[in-house]
Amino acid sequence: MHLTDPHTTRTIDGLFTSIIHRHLSEQAEAWLQAKATAVKTEQGSMQLNMAFAQLPRMTTKAALQLKAEEVQEIDALMPGLSVTTWSIDQLSRVWLLMQVPDADQDSYLKKINGLFIAAEMNELVALYAALPLLSYSQEWAFRCTEGIRSNIGTVLEAIMYHNPYPFRYLPETAWNQLVLKAFFTEKDVELIYGLMERNNKALQQTLKDYVEERDAAGRTINPWIHRLIKGQ
Amino acid sequence: MCCNENFNDRNQEEKVQTTLHLEEISGMKFFDPHVHMTSRTTDDYQAMADAGIVALIEPAFWLGQPRTGVDSFTDYYSSLIGWERFRSSQFGIKHYCTIGLNSREANNEALAEQVMELLPHFIFKDGVVGIGEIGFDDQTAAEDKYFRLQLELAKEASLPVQVHTPHRDKKKGTQRSMDIAIEHGLSPYSVIIDHNNEETVKEVLDRGFWAAFTIYPFTKMGNERMVEVVRQYGSERIMINSAADWGISDPLAVPKTAALMKRSGISMEDIELVSYRNAITAFAQSGQVDEEDFLRVKNIDQSQKFQSNSILRGGQQPRVDKNSIIIS
Repeated sequence: MHLTDPHTTRTIDGLFTSIIHRHLSEQAEAWLQAKATAVKTEQGSMQLNMAFAQLPRMTTKAALQLKAEEVQEIDALMPGLSVTTWSIDQLSRVWLLMQVPDADQDSYLKKINGLFIAAEMNELVALYAALPLLSYSQEWAFRCTEGIRSNIGTVLEAIMYHNPYPFRYLPETAWNQLVLKAFFTEKDVELIYGLMERNNKALQQTLKDYVEERDAAGRTINPWIHRLIKGQ
Repeated sequence: MCCNENFNDRNQEEKVQTTLHLEEISGMKFFDPHVHMTSRTTDDYQAMADAGIVALIEPAFWLGQPRTGVDSFTDYYSSLIGWERFRSSQFGIKHYCTIGLNSREANNEALAEQVMELLPHFIFKDGVVGIGEIGFDDQTAAEDKYFRLQLELAKEASLPVQVHTPHRDKKKGTQRSMDIAIEHGLSPYSVIIDHNNEETVKEVLDRGFWAAFTIYPFTKMGNERMVEVVRQYGSERIMINSAADWGISDPLAVPKTAALMKRSGISMEDIELVSYRNAITAFAQSGQVDEEDFLRVKNIDQSQKFQSNSILRGGQQPRVDKNSIIIS
């Protein structure tokens, strides 16, 4: 059901909590904790919607200052996940999402989907980066595929970079779209977790056609395309 | 606004590329507090960035085609805080918006009711600096009703209001808008009365409101007239904008007017106030304007390169030579 077992999720939650504690003012942390309590207890989603939107006003948008052992621990807990490029508001938003009660699947999905529908640009980034940490993992595959159709560069990067969700849950066709879109939008494909592991014949065939097309247009070819075609 | 049938005459006129002489305004920075980028091209973004525009406000407005369902509003508001915001960032321009139900579509009451329920989902979003553009078009009872409801919303949310004043029967419409804002207990200092002209400005300023002027060919203010307004009224609580949209309008109206003011001997302090600072002061009452973000949006590509790879974060748009007939 979930990308991680409950114990791992709790450990990541604790780790995020301590990183948040180090970055937030006392007042901002108290606000966030109060909102988390409200989110855990409310029937509807008003508190979640409001807190999710207003969060950067309290947390600021500063870059994270992580300790080396924190980076290592996150990678050990969830291979492929890295928060090194996140800002404090993004980490706090993802942590807040992890507080949404998930006992009732329908209610949980409705709450999180509601956030996607009216999301601002940075909210979208946080939502897509949070995919591997959400409950009912396989339910988010369509949402992730939709995200790959986005033209917002930062949203694409939230899905493509340091995110183990696509590697674990996307069907092959969607995975191949992700890789192709990464090449087309000149993303740094080295940051796609599982790029070589999920290499496949259909992708290689499409990439061969793509190489011919680029050749015909006299355009350069990313060396990673050749590596994928060769399979090494 | 456009819609003339004179395109034959217009197209036969001499085709000249008139460009703003950027050296006249080099080093100056501008804030356009009213521009509908949804209706503009990426060329406009590039030209605006080149001319020194560092930030802008896109008010929610009528798209030219009436919307028939509330989902169209949802998607429009989402695009103002999502896709358009990103598009702007690709050119290093900080994008803010105001959210509201425009006066024209307030007349579709069944739809307007649903939009009113939708607004609270958007007005607290990051970078939403006010309720706007709202006010009167035809000055109907329905327009009056939704203007009042949205003023109450602005009061509750402590957000500034960007008021559209009507094209037709402007003077009365402007007075009525101010009367209603006062009646609902809003501070005039939190209300920006837009699309002023020589006939409306005095009362707007006397009553303590902000007076915005839209520099827009044919139907609103020309910038030579604007120079005279600043000469007469000074720069306190006055700001200029382009309101560029899908009509024949000019997204460089703010820098062009600044250049004209400079040439006309208006002081640099006054120019800075009307073309940059006053808009920030007025809309920063939302708590959502941080001047450091103007720099951050510019630097985002350079500062956040990944692992010394040259690929730019978010995909900043490469510059295209518009004068070349070669398209590669």
